[in-house]
Order: sequence, then C-alpha cells, then structure tokens
Amino acid sequence: MLKNSFKEKININLLLYLGIIVVSVLILTFLDMNKREYIYAISIIERSLVFAVAALAMNMVTGFTGLFSLGQAGFMALGAYTTAILTIPVELRPNVYYMEGILPALENLSFPIPIAVILGGVVAAFFAFLIGIPILRLKSDYLAIATLGFSEIMRAVIASHMMDKITNGAYGLNNIPEFSSSIECFIYTSICIIAMILIINSSTGRDFKAIREDEIAARSVGINIFKTKELSFVVSSFFTGISGGLLAMYMSSINSSTFQITLTYDVLLIVVLGGIGSITGSIVGAFFVTAGKELLRFFDEPLTVAGVNVPLFKPGFRMVIFSILLMVVVLFFRKGLLGGKELSLNGFKKYSRKKEDKGIQVGGAS
Amino acid sequence: MENILKLTDMSIQFGGLRAIDSLNLEVDKGEIVAIIGPNGAGKTTAFNCITGIYTPTSGNIEYLGKSIIHKEPEEITKSGIARTFQNIRLFKNLTVFENVLIAVHLRYRDNIFTSALRINYKQELAMREEVKILLESQDLYKYKNDIASSLPYGIQRRLEIARALATKPTLLLLDEPAAGMNPQETEDLTKYIKSIRNKFGLTILLIEHHMDLVMDISERIYVIDFGKLIAKGSPDEIQNNPKVIEAYLGVKENA
Repeated sequence: MLKNSFKEKININLLLYLGIIVVSVLILTFLDMNKREYIYAISIIERSLVFAVAALAMNMVTGFTGLFSLGQAGFMALGAYTTAILTIPVELRPNVYYMEGILPALENLSFPIPIAVILGGVVAAFFAFLIGIPILRLKSDYLAIATLGFSEIMRAVIASHMMDKITNGAYGLNNIPEFSSSIECFIYTSICIIAMILIINSSTGRDFKAIREDEIAARSVGINIFKTKELSFVVSSFFTGISGGLLAMYMSSINSSTFQITLTYDVLLIVVLGGIGSITGSIVGAFFVTAGKELLRFFDEPLTVAGVNVPLFKPGFRMVIFSILLMVVVLFFRKGLLGGKELSLNGFKKYSRKKEDKGIQVGGAS
Repeated sequence: MENILKLTDMSIQFGGLRAIDSLNLEVDKGEIVAIIGPNGAGKTTAFNCITGIYTPTSGNIEYLGKSIIHKEPEEITKSGIARTFQNIRLFKNLTVFENVLIAVHLRYRDNIFTSALRINYKQELAMREEVKILLESQDLYKYKNDIASSLPYGIQRRLEIARALATKPTLLLLDEPAAGMNPQETEDLTKYIKSIRNKFGLTILLIEHHMDLVMDISERIYVIDFGKLIAKGSPDEIQNNPKVIEAYLGVKENA
C-alpha cells in the first residue's frame, strides 16, 4: 500500500514535470524559429530562467534550511567572472583586456561553456565552504549581515586595481559568448532546477527542513546541524555561482556594479514573493517579477487622453506601479503567492476533492 | 544489575548560579526512574547535561561505561539516548510522517548524491516502511499526513515520544510527559509508558510533577532541590521521607 502510493506520487509528479518540459521546449523552439519577431519575449524568458535558478538556490538555504543569507550577489559574481574569464574567445582577449593586459596564465585558458559554468559554481561553492566555517555559527540577522559583508567584499576585490589582470578591474568584461538559443538557456537552467528539486525532496532535504523547524530537536534526533548547514550553504552557493555564470552569458558583458546589493534584493524579492519554502513559488516568482517589470513599461511612455498629457506617465513611473503591486501581493498573500505550498497535480486533485466534500472529513489514511 | 547511566559528582554552574551541585545518579537497565523536585530545582538542566546540550562544569557522566561528557547532542543520540522536551519540540510545519522519518535517518548511511539521485531508492522505501510500522504500533498512523502543529496537545506529546523511539534508543529521557494533561490522559500515559518500556526493552528516566504517575510508574525516585540531591529510594520511601515532605510536598500539619 505504502509503496504503491509512494510510487504513484512520484509518477504523477514526474508526468507533470515532463509535461512542463515538453510544452516549454515546444514554445521555445517556436520562439527561436521566429527569433526576430520575438527577441524581446526570448530575452525576458531567458532572464526569468536565470533568476529562477538564483531564487531557488536562495530558497534552498533561506526557505528550506532557515539560514538567512544575503550573499547571493557575491556568489553570483564569483560564478559570473569565472565563467566569463574561461569562455571569452582567446582571440578577443587582447581587446577585452585593452588597459592592463591579461595574466599570462589565463591568456590561453579556455573551456567549453558547460564546463566553465560548472567551474563557476565550484569556485562559488569553495568560497562558501571557507566562509561557512566561521559564519554559519551565527544566527538569523547576524548571518545575514555577515553574508552581506562577504558579498560587498567580493565586489570590491573584483573591482580593485590589483585584480586588473584577472577581472579587468573597473572596466568589466565583455564579449562573453551568449546563449546560442533560448533552448540552450532552458537546458542549463532546467538541469539546475531539477537537481535542486531532487535535493530538496531527498532525505538530505528533509534534514534541511528539520534544522529550519527546530535546531535543538534536530540535534536530538541525531542530525549534525553544523555539517548539514554547511552542506546546504555550499550546495546553494554552487547553484548561485552557476546562475551567475548564466547571467554573464545572458548579459554578455559584466562589470562589478552588476553585482551590487540590489542584485541580491532582486533575488530575495522573487523568493519572498513566490513563497519562502516553495520550489514552484520561486520559479513562478522569477517570471512574475522579471516579466512584471517589463510588461509595465507602457507606464513609462507619455500617455495622452483626449488631447491632455497625463502627467504621471513618464520614465520611472512603472517602478512606482510595480512597487504598489508588490505591496498588494505581500498584503494579500502574506506568505507569498504560493505560501510554502507547491503547485502540483496532487494539489489540484486535493483542492477539487475538498470542494466536492464540502467539509466532510475524508477519514483514515490510504 | 547492569548500569546504563551513571552521573558522578556532576555539577554545572551558570555564572554565579550553581544549577546542579554534585549530583550522583544511577540508572540500571530496564528500570523506570523518576527525577522529581520543585520548579527550578535543576531537573531539566540535568537532562540537558546528559544529552550534551550543556557541558557540566565538573564531574562525570557515563553511559554504558563510557564517558559522554564532551560529546555533541547528535553523537549522544546516535549512541542510544533519546529524549523529549518539556515544551514539546516537534518539527511543527512538517507532517507527522516526516517528523518520524527524519528521526530514522541517523541509522541509514546517506549522502547528498545518493539521496538526490535516488540511488538509494530502496533504502528510502525501507525507511518509510519502518516509520509506517512504528506509527501503526503507536496508533498514530491515521494522522500521518497531518501537520504536526495542527494536532491536539496529547497527540503531539505522543508524536514526540514516537519520534524519540524512531532513533531506536536504549535509554529514553522524558521531560514532563504528562504536563498539561488531565487525570484520565495521565492515566493513559502511565499505561503507555509502561507498554513502550516492555515493547522496546527501554530504560526510562523521567521528570514529572504528576505524583500519581510518578508513584505508579517508577521503581526508584530521585528528589532534587536547589540543584542538590535530597533523597532517593523507592516510591514508598520517598513518600515517607520527612526531608522530601518538607522541601517538596510541603509540611503537613498532621503528617
């Protein structure tokens, strides 16, 4: 009985995931084939996908493990710079590093894109491992401040004059290879998202949740909380680094100001809006926020009604509207759009069953 | 009788406060032993020392003949001491099933790759089967999909005990298991504790204020007041001990 229901659940979810993937691939192929017409939509989708990875990684550590980390921008910078340095075409490097030249060791060091992106994640994970040892002993707000500090240090180091030959200092890096198609972006991001979903739903993920719920109780059932926190932080940073690498590819040129604290806030906004502790929430939130910002653009354009210019409609107004929308969402959906729950076929089934039963308890367990 | 737990001259000091002063305590295999004493006597502190949350300032704690004084709480749980808490500490937003499932993890080898890639799929099924059997035996299976915090208080208490049992302990520490229960519930709990002792071959050390339960259930009782042991012995001896009556039960006029 138990085995069956467990398998059944897996199968239904698997079908759902496969369905989403197939539909997405079809849509993206269509968009790719008419690239000229839909270039704007493709750009929004790619950005949303990249931010979905970053948001889910943040959710893993903040929403599922209960560690409030604000180091996202720093880890994304590490991933982005690693990816960029390793993938900028060798023949273009003299042009990119036109001021100070490039470190001889890096001059001809080039990797295929997937490997470079993974290495970006590894570098971010390595730094997370190192700083995690001292700072993961801190609690809530203190941890947030420590990670925030780390993020700013990373940005300052990248922009510093001493790093000119590696990061090109304040000039930034350009000529980073872009995604050849939105499908390519989709493949990278969906692999990351699926990997994170698998981790969160595994026994390791359950340990994360136990720590979020109650550290003392978690220790009392034999969970090594320090090791588990470190694991969550490192894995999350790995995927954050990857999302940084993908962001570099999406933007094709980066500099240290790309990775300011506002980038962390963007990711945090997606996580909170989608629902802290909800996987699908982070993904939906990424699209909601990214597309929302773009779709409201008509508020920035002058509007004339019956020959009169409406005074509010000028550049910047859309952010006012967007902020108001955010407040509305936060007020009416205290716990985010999905509030710790997941979008799933099972969920829909339960919801419709509840409606049918109208209050009659479904007794016993199946 | 085989000694399972032995506290020798254990003391712990918080700043100027000596919360426990040279406590000596022994628990033999298969026994049910109670620690009683007025509020603030240091009973829960003693539990926290045994389970590694606090490290005693001096003295020793031996479990199965080995000192466990510098071990981390999770290591102590792994070595076979499980506990419940005075103010229930469940994984509140997780289901009953997950609460117990997490406690089963420590007996299975696992890492992030094998668990994420479902290489140990069979192990996961084995864990779930084990949880199912345990929940059924504790009459909690019908709640398996309920969120822990949504359960009635009494059920939450039982779930916490079930979670402790899932770690397969040899020694179970219960911190005020009957707190907030009415006489009927307390009586049920008394039977329940006896039944799990027999069924799982446990040794139980408990803190409790309900005297009916304590006198009924325990084979030996330790009485602590202001961090000091003031009496020990069988329930009968304790009930007639003038020191205990004075310090704990209050001075009776016609005692």
